[in-house]
Amino acid sequence: MVALLRGFYPYAIAILIAFVMYKVMPVGAEKIDLGILQINSFFTKVTGAIGIAIIMAVSLNIVNGYTGQFSLGHAGFMAIGAYTSAWITHYGSIHFFGNANAMEGLFTKGSALFVASLLAAGLVSALFGYLVGLPSLRLRGDYLAIVTLGFGEILRALLNQTQPVLDEFDIEEATRGEIFTGLGGALGFSGVPKYSNLFWVWSVAIITVIICYRLKQSIHGKAFLSIRENEIAAEAMGVPTTHYKVAAFAIAAFFAGVGGALFAHTLGNIVSPNEMNYQRSIDFVIMVVLGGMGSISGSVIAAVALTILPESLREFSEYRMIVYAILLIVFMIVRPDGIFGIREFWEVKWIRRLFRRTPKETHAP
Amino acid sequence: MIKLVQTLLSSISVGSLYALIALGYTMVYGTLKFINFAHASIFMLGAWFSAIIAAALLANGVTGIPAIVLSILIVMVICTTLGFVIERLAYRPLRDAPRLNVLITAIGVALLIENVAALNDVKIPGTQTTIHGFGTQPGKMPELLANADLFSIPLGSGTVVVDKVDALILGLSICLMIVLEFIIYNTRLGAAMRAASHDARTAALMGIPVDRTISITFIIGTSLAAAAGFLYVMKYPSINPPVAVTWGLLGLKAFVAAVVGGIGNVRGAVVGGLLIGILEQAGAAYLSPHFRDVYVFALLIFVLLVRPTGIFGSTAVEKV
Amino acid sequence: MSVLLDINSISLSFGGLKALSDFNLLMNKGDLQGLIGPNGAGKTTCFNVLTGVYAPQAGEMRLDGKLLNGMCCNQITRAGLARTFQNIRLFGNLTVLDNVLVASRTQIRHTMFGTVLRSMGHLREERALHAEAMTLLEVFDLAHLAHETSRNLPYGSQRRLEIARALATRPKILLLDEPAAGMNPQEKKLLAELILSVREKFHVTILLIEHDMCLVMSICERITVLDHGVTIAQGTPQEIQCDPKVIEAYLGKPMESEAI
Repeated sequence: MVALLRGFYPYAIAILIAFVMYKVMPVGAEKIDLGILQINSFFTKVTGAIGIAIIMAVSLNIVNGYTGQFSLGHAGFMAIGAYTSAWITHYGSIHFFGNANAMEGLFTKGSALFVASLLAAGLVSALFGYLVGLPSLRLRGDYLAIVTLGFGEILRALLNQTQPVLDEFDIEEATRGEIFTGLGGALGFSGVPKYSNLFWVWSVAIITVIICYRLKQSIHGKAFLSIRENEIAAEAMGVPTTHYKVAAFAIAAFFAGVGGALFAHTLGNIVSPNEMNYQRSIDFVIMVVLGGMGSISGSVIAAVALTILPESLREFSEYRMIVYAILLIVFMIVRPDGIFGIREFWEVKWIRRLFRRTPKETHAP
Repeated sequence: MIKLVQTLLSSISVGSLYALIALGYTMVYGTLKFINFAHASIFMLGAWFSAIIAAALLANGVTGIPAIVLSILIVMVICTTLGFVIERLAYRPLRDAPRLNVLITAIGVALLIENVAALNDVKIPGTQTTIHGFGTQPGKMPELLANADLFSIPLGSGTVVVDKVDALILGLSICLMIVLEFIIYNTRLGAAMRAASHDARTAALMGIPVDRTISITFIIGTSLAAAAGFLYVMKYPSINPPVAVTWGLLGLKAFVAAVVGGIGNVRGAVVGGLLIGILEQAGAAYLSPHFRDVYVFALLIFVLLVRPTGIFGSTAVEKV
Repeated sequence: MSVLLDINSISLSFGGLKALSDFNLLMNKGDLQGLIGPNGAGKTTCFNVLTGVYAPQAGEMRLDGKLLNGMCCNQITRAGLARTFQNIRLFGNLTVLDNVLVASRTQIRHTMFGTVLRSMGHLREERALHAEAMTLLEVFDLAHLAHETSRNLPYGSQRRLEIARALATRPKILLLDEPAAGMNPQEKKLLAELILSVREKFHVTILLIEHDMCLVMSICERITVLDHGVTIAQGTPQEIQCDPKVIEAYLGKPMESEAI
């Protein structure tokens, strides 16, 4: 029983934090006045975007950071999650509730459907992650990058050719096939009931971080890391590398799928094939690389920073990618391990030195 | 029948474009062992510079064949210089770094080129200088060749048309490939390039200036991409904006061609390029034009699973 | 004495080159055997075949009666055959302790779900394996370095860590590929004692590749000599030392022209 509590209490705390955030942060025309800082609904929107970015970056870290593979298809998994969940909540709402409007309130029948769609999105995405991971058994880093890129682009081309989304009136005379492929084509999946809010986003975000951190600290996690360090030695030490590589892809894809589902159900986001192209994948790669391959706190910090920066520097939006690009190049030349490398920020020596209270002991001769 | 021949003709023309780009990928991969993501961006720059230079030449009264020759030369010089700078600043400091780092740098360089090219006349604060980018609007290549048919062959109930641009693409590609083939297999430089790609460290011990050889390899690849950019806009005169996904996709497909042919193998890249051209055009003509990219990437995944070394590639096994 | 490892006429060739032909080896429980031969004789190839890096083209390998042919590296390691590498292959960015923990993964039963939920199995196994790893490091005099990044260790410690890591997989047989390479005489002496004590403490059977004759002759009970993939002698150190074929392989044929 005690052990059970030990296992679960961080998750409970995560949900609690998310709930507080949901209650505190303003929506619509509300405002919080903190004197210097005026928090409005725009702030809430950015906070939600940060949560999703954290989910995406931290999960990508499992593949690109822990296992040392190189995936450029993370946005593809996001798209799979977004479309799966959108399809479920849209057509599910019509089937169960008669229309596709979102219900008011945090815990309704609609939210139950939404949570189910999150899980389904994660599982479908994980299945695809498994399939995309299979080539990783035979291919090295850069070839794998191309395969994952190819996967994302194939997906985009296929999604572009889907049928229009059906509403509750069209659905009466539609065939099964039309309902199944009614994903909106190039225009995107319109009419997704917008169930997502800070509570859901941040619950998932913090839970993702906890799971990834627990994995990294465990022996299973070290097995992931050993593959990145030296695959031949890992095999020789009895690590079934193929199993772990595919598992890394599946786990990362699961969270990316859930992240995509949250993205799809957030007010103001469009679910369209071109929204989730490889440039978005590269955004996530940049977060992982700058934060440090293998560092969860690094990914979190990078995700926060790289989401806030472009929002606060709107007038310089043309330069955003230029700055990212220069950062990438400079980092690779000067500090190839990213800010924190494989470590968490509290494990890094130069940060420890910053926070050490007493000066270093000097040895008397 | 006519459809078949016509499809084959366009396949060869598109395929030789892919081959030209693939050559750059394969040469860089052969020597530096990473996918040069920036290659597609150079190709894009080649396309855009072609349009600007061609327009300038036409405005000054240069037309016809001289305009073509001049603009292709100028474009190749510009892109080659740029390639040299990129290699010097971004890739050379990473000669001994893990390959993944170089790959990430290449992604960074690609992003940098694309987004700088996409800038719209930007004033640098505090100075009088303005940067004139290509902007985010599509461009247009002026007509250098009156797009007339070169000749047409009567066949059965209709005629097969060969237009001038296709002939130009094919002719120029073949010329460039022959030159490249000659350089690689018949000159000292080529021998150095082959040696450096086989084993850079040993080559250095044998007195080959590896760094310089790699730079030259890189530059040759870049100039081919520039030429491909020029030919591409000759064929498709409306040019996508620099940040469009099209460029990256074209580059990727060319890379697929290099992989299919066997990466690091120059002849393989040519064969791969033609194969990809045929697959794409035939797929578009006979199956569905919406899934052009899907055919190519499906081929990639198939090749990687069945024969990861490609048609002409050889295996390299890591020593334990 | 029971037979632990039975290698029965293994052959392997790369193209036209016979890397290993008709190789036989019998190891009883608790043996400490040596595998020697000039450079390029096929010693490391032999290890690579045993550990599943290369598949033999003919012959059988049995560990405790279990056929090893066709198993991949990690399966063979889990079956009880662990190795070290001639060119050190540590997990450079991981700490010394983590290097050992990766190897002890062969013992864990809980799944990744258990890890994520911090199940009882996870806690119990992680705790036990941590403790075990620390004892192992103590034996190898690495405990005080447990939280150092392994890349930063001095050379000798890295070699010892390789052995410790291989032991953490709880092997029945330990294959050491030139453990004394690059060590000075003093370190070699310590290493010899360490190898003997490892055999006592962990009840493992050891097969050793080594160039240093002193070391091999002093600790090994039986020695196999390879040359160009062919076994040219097998026997006790004394027998090997007197074997004319071995002397020939190492020193070359007596110069008959000079004798005339």
